[in-house]
Amino acid sequence: MVHYIIRRLLLMIIILFLVSIIVFALVNILPGDPAVLLLGQEATPQALAALRDQLGLNDPLYIQYIHWIINVLHGNLGYSLSDHSPVLNILLQKIPVTLELTIISFIIALLIAIPVGILSATRKGSIWDYISTFGALSGISIPAFWLGILLIYFFSVKLGWFPPSGYVSPFRHFGQSIFLMILPAFSLGITLSAELTRMLRSSLLEVLQADFIRTGYAKGLLKYAVVFKHALKNALIPVLTVSGLQLATFFGGAVITETIFAIPGIGQLIINAILSRDFPVVQGTVLFMAFAVICINFLVDITYSLLDPRIKLGEVSK
Amino acid sequence: MTKLKTFYIPVLISIISIILLSACGNTQSQNTAQAKTNKNTLIIGLDSDPPQLDPQLSTTLVDRQVDQSLYNTLIDVNSNLQFVPGLATSWKVSSDEKMYTFHLRQGVTFQDGTPFNAEAVKFNLERILNPKTGSPSLSEISSIDSIKIIDDHSLQIHLKEPYAPFLSVLTDRTGMMLSPTAVKKEGKNFANHPVGTGPYKFVSRIKQESITVKRYDHYWGKKPKIKTVIYKPYTDGTTRVTNLESGNVDIINQMDYKDIDRLKHDPNITLSIKDALGFQGIMLNTKVKPLNNLKIRQAINIAIDRKAISKVVYHNGVTPAVNPFPTASWAHPTDLKVPKANIAKAKSLIKESGVTNTSFTLKITNDPQAKQLGQMLQYMLQKIGIKINLEMVEFGTLISQENSHQYQAVFQGWSGRIDPDGNSYSWFTSKGSLNNMGYSNTKVDQLLSEARSVSNQTERKALYDQTSKILWHDSPYIFLFYLKDFKAMKNDLQGFNHVPDTLIRTDTLSFK
Amino acid sequence: MQQATFNQSPAQSKTTRPFLKLYRAAFSRLWQNKLGTAGGVFLLLLIIAAIFAPYIAPFDPSKQDYSAVLQGPSAQHWLGTDDLGRDSLSRIIYGARVSLKAGIISVGIALIIGVPIGLLSGYLKGLWDELIIMRITDAMLSFPPLVLALTLAAVLGAGLSNAMLAIGLVFTPNFIRLVRGQVLSQREREYVEATRSSGISHFRIIVHHILPNSLAPILVQATLSVASAILSEASLSYLGLGTQPPTPSWGAMLSEAQGYLEQDPLLAVWPGLFIFLIVISINFFGDAVRDMLDPKLK
Repeated sequence: MVHYIIRRLLLMIIILFLVSIIVFALVNILPGDPAVLLLGQEATPQALAALRDQLGLNDPLYIQYIHWIINVLHGNLGYSLSDHSPVLNILLQKIPVTLELTIISFIIALLIAIPVGILSATRKGSIWDYISTFGALSGISIPAFWLGILLIYFFSVKLGWFPPSGYVSPFRHFGQSIFLMILPAFSLGITLSAELTRMLRSSLLEVLQADFIRTGYAKGLLKYAVVFKHALKNALIPVLTVSGLQLATFFGGAVITETIFAIPGIGQLIINAILSRDFPVVQGTVLFMAFAVICINFLVDITYSLLDPRIKLGEVSK
Repeated sequence: MTKLKTFYIPVLISIISIILLSACGNTQSQNTAQAKTNKNTLIIGLDSDPPQLDPQLSTTLVDRQVDQSLYNTLIDVNSNLQFVPGLATSWKVSSDEKMYTFHLRQGVTFQDGTPFNAEAVKFNLERILNPKTGSPSLSEISSIDSIKIIDDHSLQIHLKEPYAPFLSVLTDRTGMMLSPTAVKKEGKNFANHPVGTGPYKFVSRIKQESITVKRYDHYWGKKPKIKTVIYKPYTDGTTRVTNLESGNVDIINQMDYKDIDRLKHDPNITLSIKDALGFQGIMLNTKVKPLNNLKIRQAINIAIDRKAISKVVYHNGVTPAVNPFPTASWAHPTDLKVPKANIAKAKSLIKESGVTNTSFTLKITNDPQAKQLGQMLQYMLQKIGIKINLEMVEFGTLISQENSHQYQAVFQGWSGRIDPDGNSYSWFTSKGSLNNMGYSNTKVDQLLSEARSVSNQTERKALYDQTSKILWHDSPYIFLFYLKDFKAMKNDLQGFNHVPDTLIRTDTLSFK
Repeated sequence: MQQATFNQSPAQSKTTRPFLKLYRAAFSRLWQNKLGTAGGVFLLLLIIAAIFAPYIAPFDPSKQDYSAVLQGPSAQHWLGTDDLGRDSLSRIIYGARVSLKAGIISVGIALIIGVPIGLLSGYLKGLWDELIIMRITDAMLSFPPLVLALTLAAVLGAGLSNAMLAIGLVFTPNFIRLVRGQVLSQREREYVEATRSSGISHFRIIVHHILPNSLAPILVQATLSVASAILSEASLSYLGLGTQPPTPSWGAMLSEAQGYLEQDPLLAVWPGLFIFLIVISINFFGDAVRDMLDPKLK
């Protein structure tokens, strides 16, 4: 077990290293001279040259990379080109916002996926199954931004139940914070729930065929007891695994949703940073996102391997 | 069946609790009916995130909205654009118009405790005059020869030659007083910790999200009723307006023109309209191809249907323009009409120019109204054979690119100044600090210099008329329209003083 | 992937009659899948519309008519007009061109780069494959796809071509992985060993034996990726980094329509609806293709 964890850890480090190289390479090909962007108006050529020196822009790329990576390891992600505040601080301000959106979206997704997945698996071939399959495929196909716009139109413009955009920190006002998140979390959650429903349905179908279930039937347990006590627990594991792995795609969806609903999270941050050519922010944010995905995948892997051997006999130890 | 319930009951409970939680959030929150306002906090919606809170380094109007709360100017203006005392209580001009004496307000302190006095005024003016500072306001006071301190609260400013706009220049950014202590301490970082004498002091800022200021309890003037002011940028006009309509925001500084009708009919919103001082149009970089060619610029100038733009994009909320002086200004040339688009002449001008590659990139801000305008311009120029590419750039970056001349054409306007000199000198003279077009015409330099040294209005108007004609001919800047200033706010926001300089003066505001 | 589906004896590389029979059986399965067929038909219609756009579209999609701004559906403008008086129907039709182009070319790029690398990597195995190529694909897959595409598009510059390149690059690791997996499972089979022992070069083995047997899952993945690519292009254009005005792109049209939800909500319906329809059609069709090629794969 430990051996496995160590191997995964080593792999994770290698991947992180490669990720950092990719991020660095990407951003440093971005057009625009950071010195000019920083000093802006009427800076003298001498001032520009001095700043370039200071920023290390004249060094060969690999040396710049080494400087950067050492800084990163010390927690210094650079400074934003527009207001010189530390990138790390900006990230720390915005991450909780996206985190809140993520959590609520996941809750909504699970609230939809679990009942629908169960219904369609237990009534395979029926009209429910057909509806849920169709619904799931629709959910995956619907563009997140269209869904967001439609939700705004119906629930905000037409019905007036929700404001069309806005954000309040949960520390300032918890209830209002959640309230404002409902529409955006819904638009993200639906796409996510489609994926989860499909996953749950197929894994539940598989599990229901398994031997231990038949043993349960033989013992005379009611069908529903069987489903909920044993099958569900086991079917949920791959679903949760997939949820974790969905994180990467989720960040992409968050970029768009945060833009539509004016939520100041890291999705909106990266869009603004890309549009304003704020390289350090782009670098730092992309690095963080990849890092988060890698860590979550790592945790999911470990968790899955911990749970896996115990699944055989339907006893999932808590 | 019971087992089914054991699953659904917790689900139902969680759904209900979420709804309850958000419902108790909703009591303080919104639907299209007006939200109950927090009487201690004023939320102002801005059209973009202010790039620069150091007024001496700033070039944008949106910065000045926040500056209004943080700083005071030597001289202020009322809603009729007449001068009223600010940090200076009285002033005298010598008969040769070269010496100005100012008496300063007593008992004023900066928000960091530094006393406000003649030394501070001298420090601030000299900072602008210092070329190392790189202040774009430099050309507004370049005529200052020397500053003499008489005593703690009076000083004399000597000019090199008479400069008619001098007092009006001191009513905006150039006349804003920064705390010398803070400037010396923070240096280049001052904008992140701004300190002035204004009714509100800086608390914190989250980029692209909010700027928070708090009432300054030792403010020399009438203490503001509202304790906290938060400025929030919304680059999308629709989002800005809908946040006002839903009550998230109390007042917005600008809106897309397509939303004006809707706001007019909203019973919870008050709309205030005033003719503004500025102009909008396209800056052309006259030093790069193909815009360095006069005939190409002229062709662009006459191919544009300004009336159509006013109608389609701005719903007739703006006035078509062909020169820098708005209709409200006395310097507005009455004999220069807005011509119809002349496609044939434009095409022949292009042929005459001999330029084969006429395409260029037009930079605009990344908002829907600008994109709509961009596409209209694209279509209009396509008709005369010029292909333009649209590039969307974030506002702050756009300003930097203009200042460093990294552009071919930019949709960029000017908020305008009370005195016509403020709408022309720094933009169109060869060394003007806002002249990012590389435009240089010695005749214009001559006319504008003369216009600022003469005090007779009729004489000045004649000079500005001539300037307008030359600018039309040279076309370094394609004037498109003059803005009207629309301010929309919740009905329960009182005390709004609508000054044509479009700035929201926070010290007089309160909730009913 | 079932080896048995293609009943080839090792040295043969030509198709045989059993092969054709299987295809016929596969097609009849496809036909039975109603949704898949519907999806396929819709796609075909869109492709035809896109190719013949200049003949089908009633107006020039960039033609601005200031007297007909933000109109609802009418006899002249079946889907109404937008905020500059341009005909929505024409823009939707030309938008189909952009979407299909984006989908196909992006995936094409991913295939051209990904398949050879996957083939080589899987066949050669060893350090180069395990450590370098797989880790690089892992690294690339750690980025949120849209974010990576956005950053790439910003680096390369705005515009459809760069967007397609960016999307193509983002999808490449998926294909590398898929093909590599296929190769790994194929190369252990007896027929490969048998072939090697008859002295055929590695190259021939890869190209003439392994590749054709891996085609089915590649095809399925490619089909489904086209749908993703179309969504990605729409997202990039929505955010302002893909197609540039005045080229109509469904994503860009959607972002323009967002400001007019009060005045003209239908404007936001059409582009989004078509994106949805094309993506779901491809998904149905893709699922059906998967079923057709191997019913055991679920």
